[in-house]
Amino acid sequence: MTDAWIFDAVRTPRGRGKATGALYATRPVDLLSQVLAALKARTGVETVDDVVIGCVTQTGEQGGCLARFSALQAGLGMESPGVMVNRFCASGLEAVNHAAVMVASGHYDVVIAGGVESMSRVEMGSDGGAIWDARTQTLVGSVPQGVSADLLATMHGVTRGDVDAFAIESHRRACAAEAGGASSRSRVPVVDEAGLTVLDRDETPRADTTIEALSKLKPSFEMMGRQFGLDTLVRRAYPQIERIDHVHHAGNSSGIVDGAAAVLVASREVGERLGLKPRARIRAMAVVGDEPFVMLTGPLPATRKVLKRAGMAASDIDHYEVNEAFAVVPIVYQRTFDIDPARINPLGGAIALGHPLGATGAMLVSTALDNLERTGGTTALLTLCVGGGMGIATILERV
Amino acid sequence: MATGFLTDIATAENGGIATITIQLPGKVNKINAEFGVGLSAAWDEVMGGAARGVLIVSGHKDFCVGADLDTIFGVTDPAAILDLVRMLDGLFRRIETSGIPVACVLAGSALGGGFELAMACHHRVVVDSPRVSLGLPEVNLGVIPGAGGTQRLPRLIGVQAALDLMLQGKLVRGNKAVVAGLAHEAAPTPEAAVALARAWLAATKPKSDAAKQPWDRSDYAWPGLSPNSADGRNVFMAASAMVYKKTAGAFPAADAILAVVQEGARLNFDGGTLVEARAFARLATSGQAKDMMRTFWYQRTAAEKQEGLPVAPADPGIRKVAVLGAGMMGAGLAAICAQAGYTVVLRDVAQSALNAGMAHVVKGIGERLKHKSAEERATVIGRVTASSEISDLDGTDLVIEAVFENADLKHRVIREVEARLGARAIFASNTSALPITGLAEASVRPEQFIGLHFFSPVEQMPLLEIIRGRATTEETVARCLAFCRAIGKLPIVVNDGYGFYTTRVFSAYILEGAQCVAEGYDPVLVEWAARVAGMVVPPLQVFDEVTLRLGDHALSQAEAFRPGIAGLAGAKLVKAMVEAGRIGRAQGGGFYEYKDGRREGIWPGVAAFCAPRVAGDAVAQVRALSERLLLAQVAETLRAWDERIVTRPQDADVGAVFGIGFAPNTGGPLAYVDRHGAAAVRARLVELASTLGARFAPSPGWASTIVPFYG
Repeated sequence: MTDAWIFDAVRTPRGRGKATGALYATRPVDLLSQVLAALKARTGVETVDDVVIGCVTQTGEQGGCLARFSALQAGLGMESPGVMVNRFCASGLEAVNHAAVMVASGHYDVVIAGGVESMSRVEMGSDGGAIWDARTQTLVGSVPQGVSADLLATMHGVTRGDVDAFAIESHRRACAAEAGGASSRSRVPVVDEAGLTVLDRDETPRADTTIEALSKLKPSFEMMGRQFGLDTLVRRAYPQIERIDHVHHAGNSSGIVDGAAAVLVASREVGERLGLKPRARIRAMAVVGDEPFVMLTGPLPATRKVLKRAGMAASDIDHYEVNEAFAVVPIVYQRTFDIDPARINPLGGAIALGHPLGATGAMLVSTALDNLERTGGTTALLTLCVGGGMGIATILERV
Repeated sequence: MATGFLTDIATAENGGIATITIQLPGKVNKINAEFGVGLSAAWDEVMGGAARGVLIVSGHKDFCVGADLDTIFGVTDPAAILDLVRMLDGLFRRIETSGIPVACVLAGSALGGGFELAMACHHRVVVDSPRVSLGLPEVNLGVIPGAGGTQRLPRLIGVQAALDLMLQGKLVRGNKAVVAGLAHEAAPTPEAAVALARAWLAATKPKSDAAKQPWDRSDYAWPGLSPNSADGRNVFMAASAMVYKKTAGAFPAADAILAVVQEGARLNFDGGTLVEARAFARLATSGQAKDMMRTFWYQRTAAEKQEGLPVAPADPGIRKVAVLGAGMMGAGLAAICAQAGYTVVLRDVAQSALNAGMAHVVKGIGERLKHKSAEERATVIGRVTASSEISDLDGTDLVIEAVFENADLKHRVIREVEARLGARAIFASNTSALPITGLAEASVRPEQFIGLHFFSPVEQMPLLEIIRGRATTEETVARCLAFCRAIGKLPIVVNDGYGFYTTRVFSAYILEGAQCVAEGYDPVLVEWAARVAGMVVPPLQVFDEVTLRLGDHALSQAEAFRPGIAGLAGAKLVKAMVEAGRIGRAQGGGFYEYKDGRREGIWPGVAAFCAPRVAGDAVAQVRALSERLLLAQVAETLRAWDERIVTRPQDADVGAVFGIGFAPNTGGPLAYVDRHGAAAVRARLVELASTLGARFAPSPGWASTIVPFYG
């Protein structure tokens, strides 16, 4: 067993995931091939042992092993194969962990991991799946994530005020980070076929968001939960919940965006033989399953598991990236581990920047590395909640 | 030719239109294996005769009333069920894909498998009558439609409309069938319907699109939302949630209907029916379906026919009925008696009560007879006289008192009224708990004194619990059974005792609910546990509806008959709540809080009257509480059994399910005992008695024999 090292990480800016978004007229294969091409240009690595790509909605133009065609389009050697992974919202980080395991096993030398999601073009959920089946509802049971988020808030006494305040702070941090150039090392612009820049900065953070504006938004899942009875479904697991307090809305939940990211993973020896300087070591990884109705608590056991594997305590981590699927997730995470809020998502998170499902996990690698390098910190813990009640966590150690 | 199927082969004279007349031995057409074999043979016969069209009609009043439950009820092997339904699937598919146009005439009801056969025809002509019912009521027996119903109905009328009918087992009347999309044409008489069907057959060419089912045509599109679209998918998610909200997971047949409609929609037709058949085989062999079939089919039918009960005379000599007390129960009773044709006097001492009672009568009859003419409604309403004059009771044949539950008051009323009555008149008390024999002490004719216990709201609740006092004669019981039949209620006849049968079991239920809360269980979990068990209304909701004050009053009253009951923590909790002003829903709040008349949630103040909150896993607590709430009632039923309050198992199960909303999914408290095994139930009751109290102790007579109630 050898250690897996990250030699570079790049990401696209995130474009609003609608027809009015900047990346709407860019195909998912183009988004992915551009980050692969950028990685190739920055590292000089042309041929890799595999390209492992996370993507959640693998249907339509995101179906059919996008990794292979993106690799070929990016000009990687034809000997570079490609494979797709899907662990819902953790897919991007799962790809990185996959690559790390492949390298650590000694069977692979150089692997590109990454993720892509064009939510403006391929609608979330359009890939179907057993989760939509009435039969699965009977045998397993689940609720839409928004209901889970509101359930989690209800169970932890997280109020509408808490989640709205968190959302404001996410935007404030993202705007401050942009102003300070915090993402300049890893973020690469998206260009069109004529070479013109399509997008060179994250499209959704807003400096003008106010608590008053947010407080006017109607909870997104209240009607679905109360009128259509979806709230009742959670009583299979939480019979004590007589009523769910619906607090989440579009303004305090992760934004729907487009984007892609890629990370070059190799052993230290192989990387140095290629003339590369490592940016970080992947110190530990963990993935877990947790109770599926509340669904979003996976980061808690995943974090406990990864810290234990690394032999570390929560206080040893300089920088946390806790995906802001819904504001309640990082809030409960912060309360559970009693972490200084300033160390969680210091550059803002998915509420401000958006959550391009399968790409997010891989993007968090570059966000964390950029920040550690800027601040001189050493360790980062990346974690995401995952559909079906899973959770993932990875600890990076800056070189 | 197969027995029960008359065939008329196509000839030049009949225009090439063959006819299959289904007329099984007996009075009704029912579907079983022989039906399948017979219809198949008849079909082959008419096909051999070069028909250019086939008409399917019934030789009985109804088209076909569905599956012959006798051939399913006793079957425990899913493979046998699967074979049966796959045979029918194949046959129905053969009929609809032959290329020969097939029409059927629905002159009477087509239910379940009968309607599934009708749906396998290309053209349905219904007789335009409210007496004809069409639909798929299988869910009410714990199963799903089993011969293609879940596949044809949604393809015919759309997923949402089909789910709405199938999930509730709702039937559509003949006069609404065309609008609902269940039939193509309606006719005023069976003859006219046959003529329409023949005309359609004559006009329809073999192999034409009209001789194909819509779903077999190349241009088929789902009516309404496609189940395979994103919106269609959301329909299933919402429907799953709605079903769960209604059933709390206690009725797997409803879940299965959703599942097979959804999955079948992704497959070709034969794949869809295979998916349906597998679910049907699973459910039809489940204990729940057997228990529901017994109670909701066999026992209910037997109760309707009053099988095994004293024979009701053709003329019981009841023309004029007096109802004493014009509250909701009294007024409701007056209305249903008037609807049944009786002359009714609604008596109360307070004019305001009479006014309110009459308003209730007028409103109720207006709603229930809205399809009738204003004149007919006026006639029915005109049968009711609201009066405070005792002389208006002269000539009454049946008096039903529905005055306040107080023995002294009732005694006074009995004496006062009986003095006006003729020698044959029956005096009935609608008391819900007071022993009839004790009330009859005030009567000069105790042999004509009886308990007629109705349930609220009386217009909707199907049960009538008839209580024999010690002196009540069989003739009085028989005359009341004739009255029961006339007003369309389902009777059980029980012997006398405090709370007789149903109230006794119901009290055990709601008291146990209060007891659990008093012990420190989260009221939210107690209520949910009742729903998970299948109980129709959770216990604290019951308290709020009937008022805690009434509950407290009943418990104090019960103390005289069941010493110790008022000392239970649950009883004390109810008393304390009343003292704290928590009376009930109409009084601003009881166990629950209300806002604008809407139930909001458990009142947080309840905890102050209870033991400290019991800690532990909520799901495990719900499981234990569900069992406890059912077993409290089972234990009480077994005592009533030993005391011969109920003397036939079917009275116990029908009474509990139809009277007090005992978990329908179990089939009733005695069905529950059989299903779980008497020895296991006895052991469990012994355990619970040792931890929770003697009210759980298995009744000694039963405990010493424990033979199954149903062989």
